[in-house]
Amino acid sequence: MKINQKKTSWLFAILFFIVIIVGIWDASALIYGLQRGSLYALIALPLAMVLGIMDILNLAHGELLTVGLYASYVLFINFSIDPLISTLPVFIFLVILGGIIYFLTIKKVLGEGHLPQLLLTFGISIMLIELIKIYWTTRPRNVYRAYASSSITIGNFRIGSYEFLYVFLAFAVFLLLKLFLKKTRLGQAVYAVGQNPRGAEIVGINVDLVYLFIFCLSSGILGLTAGVMLPRVSIFPLTGNPFSLISFALVAMAGMGSINGILLAGITLGIAEAVIQAIPGYGGWSDLVFFGVLIAVIMAKNIQEA
Amino acid sequence: MKKLSVVGIIFLLVVITLSLSFQIRADEDPIKIGAVNPLGDITGRQSTNAMELAVKELNEAGGLLGRPVELIVIDSELRPEKGASAIERLATSDEVDFFVGGMASSVHLAQIPTLKRYEKITVWIGAASHAIEEAVGPDEDWYFHLHPWDYQQGASYAYGWKDIEEKHPEVQIDSLFLAYEEGAFGTDSYESYQEYFESAQEGEGPYADLMEDFSGVSFVSAAHGGGDYRAMLRQAMNYDPDLFIWAGYDADAVPMLSQVREIGFSPPIYAGSPPGWPEDFGDSPLAENVVFFGMWAKSLNEVSPVAQHFWDEYIAMHDDEPVTYFAPLGYTNIHFLAKGVENAGTLEKEAVIESLREIEYDSPVGTTLKISPSRIISNQGFSEQKIIQWQDGVQEIIWPFDVATSEIIYPYEW
Repeated sequence: MKINQKKTSWLFAILFFIVIIVGIWDASALIYGLQRGSLYALIALPLAMVLGIMDILNLAHGELLTVGLYASYVLFINFSIDPLISTLPVFIFLVILGGIIYFLTIKKVLGEGHLPQLLLTFGISIMLIELIKIYWTTRPRNVYRAYASSSITIGNFRIGSYEFLYVFLAFAVFLLLKLFLKKTRLGQAVYAVGQNPRGAEIVGINVDLVYLFIFCLSSGILGLTAGVMLPRVSIFPLTGNPFSLISFALVAMAGMGSINGILLAGITLGIAEAVIQAIPGYGGWSDLVFFGVLIAVIMAKNIQEA
Repeated sequence: MKKLSVVGIIFLLVVITLSLSFQIRADEDPIKIGAVNPLGDITGRQSTNAMELAVKELNEAGGLLGRPVELIVIDSELRPEKGASAIERLATSDEVDFFVGGMASSVHLAQIPTLKRYEKITVWIGAASHAIEEAVGPDEDWYFHLHPWDYQQGASYAYGWKDIEEKHPEVQIDSLFLAYEEGAFGTDSYESYQEYFESAQEGEGPYADLMEDFSGVSFVSAAHGGGDYRAMLRQAMNYDPDLFIWAGYDADAVPMLSQVREIGFSPPIYAGSPPGWPEDFGDSPLAENVVFFGMWAKSLNEVSPVAQHFWDEYIAMHDDEPVTYFAPLGYTNIHFLAKGVENAGTLEKEAVIESLREIEYDSPVGTTLKISPSRIISNQGFSEQKIIQWQDGVQEIIWPFDVATSEIIYPYEW
């Protein structure tokens, strides 16, 4: 699996078509889908980076998000630090935690094949869940901030404004990441390692350092996301768990290592989900449609490539 | 001959001494109560704490039938197979005299075949699904179920709302909207309300004259990866119900209320029926005027000396406040069973069953516990829940009126 710039025109076309149709039918579903889809993309991006560049299947992905949420919660409860402000310290905390996990565990299974990686990261996932249970029990916790319920009204149309932060953050992180990969020496090294780690090593790139950097950065992005999510979600030991599945789905849909594809796949699936939820009596079909769209896109992509 | 007589007398003395010593040992052996609770969950943990408190009180008062009481607890981990094997172990390895416990219906359903194999007296405080009642059947006189069945809960809310309408004419309920989580819990709730609605349309059942119109929409609970309720809430807002009820989990409480404000939804009554509330929910401004259904609240201490006694003793023993009604139910579980044994004066099964059927136990949930038949089983305990409202961060009982601690705040505003 290599980081690459796959053609995403087919995804653009699908997304554009969906946006037009849904926008005419129910603008609120379009906006909810855009907001949720951006969040999905933001959470899936670190998984795509770790998988695309390091070839690591990280089953503890969602649990790192959960740790970020609890870290932000602790900062709020004990030090009254607003979750939005805590994004920076939580980012740093997750970067450090990512580094520790990398040195103690991930590094040992690089290049060992996917089975040891899956078992290892599954073990990390269970350990994190159980540790959280011991300290905070299974009881949900929340941080209420009035701004998280804010909305804007245009005529008769009232729409929540807080989740536009997800959209802003997703586009900002994707843009910065692309700039970093293209414009910096380390970014170029990441590209090189993603394409051919052995070749990169031969030309003098410190592959181990690149791997460490990627794992830390991906953990940090989850910390950043956690701070922004906290005022809108309940946190409990399994909060992040479903996001692992969504992230894997997005990576599969976008194609391994496709950064543009992750954002588009997230928004496409987010809108598809929101549309189904907006149809009276069919809300329960959202998972079916979510994964139906995923299967359809993967099949269409394979036919196109064939 | 003389020698033979001496040997015979010695033999007789030895036999008498041995049988007496066995008798004494049997009298000193503890009466064993086997409990199966989910210890990783707050309901199971606090229920177990309360059971331990009840056992401590019994032993301090001299035990039961002159024998100490021993509580043996096994963690079900909320897993059906673990719950079933726990019953097996308690019956065979620990040789308990009685089974007690709770909570989840799915776990208890898996335990029923094992319970039926041993037919020991069982007093259960959780598992509200009517599927349990169907699994137990009408002929198992050793089975006592204390928690109201799901259909009894739904009916009791209707009686409550009718009483509230009568007392407060400004409260008018004609239409009901149910937001239900997609899992078994939510879907069962929706089907129950749908049945009530169909009966009400024919002028029958507890919701007659109360539910002229009904609608429901499902959502994915935050507990299962959901958490975006806005599409569902928009549909509820367009429906404009007099009573909005959500049947979900504690993880849904705050995000849903936050999104209610976001979209500007303000039903006259906003009610929920989660099994518990999130940490510090009462401190959140979102909690204000939210109505819910439950069996117990701290405010009952104001009107019930038994509730106050339970509250004080629980805190004294565990240095923690009870927050779930499974705590007073766990306490009730042990004391109710103990009273049955005490009144029977024996551990003989039929006598204890008869005794339990006669008891009127003043419980810390504010209601007198008395056994009566339900739809299928003959030994059902409580049959109704209470209507409670968050007011100034406190859970106030607003119905039944005999244990009410406050009047309803109507309409719901934020």
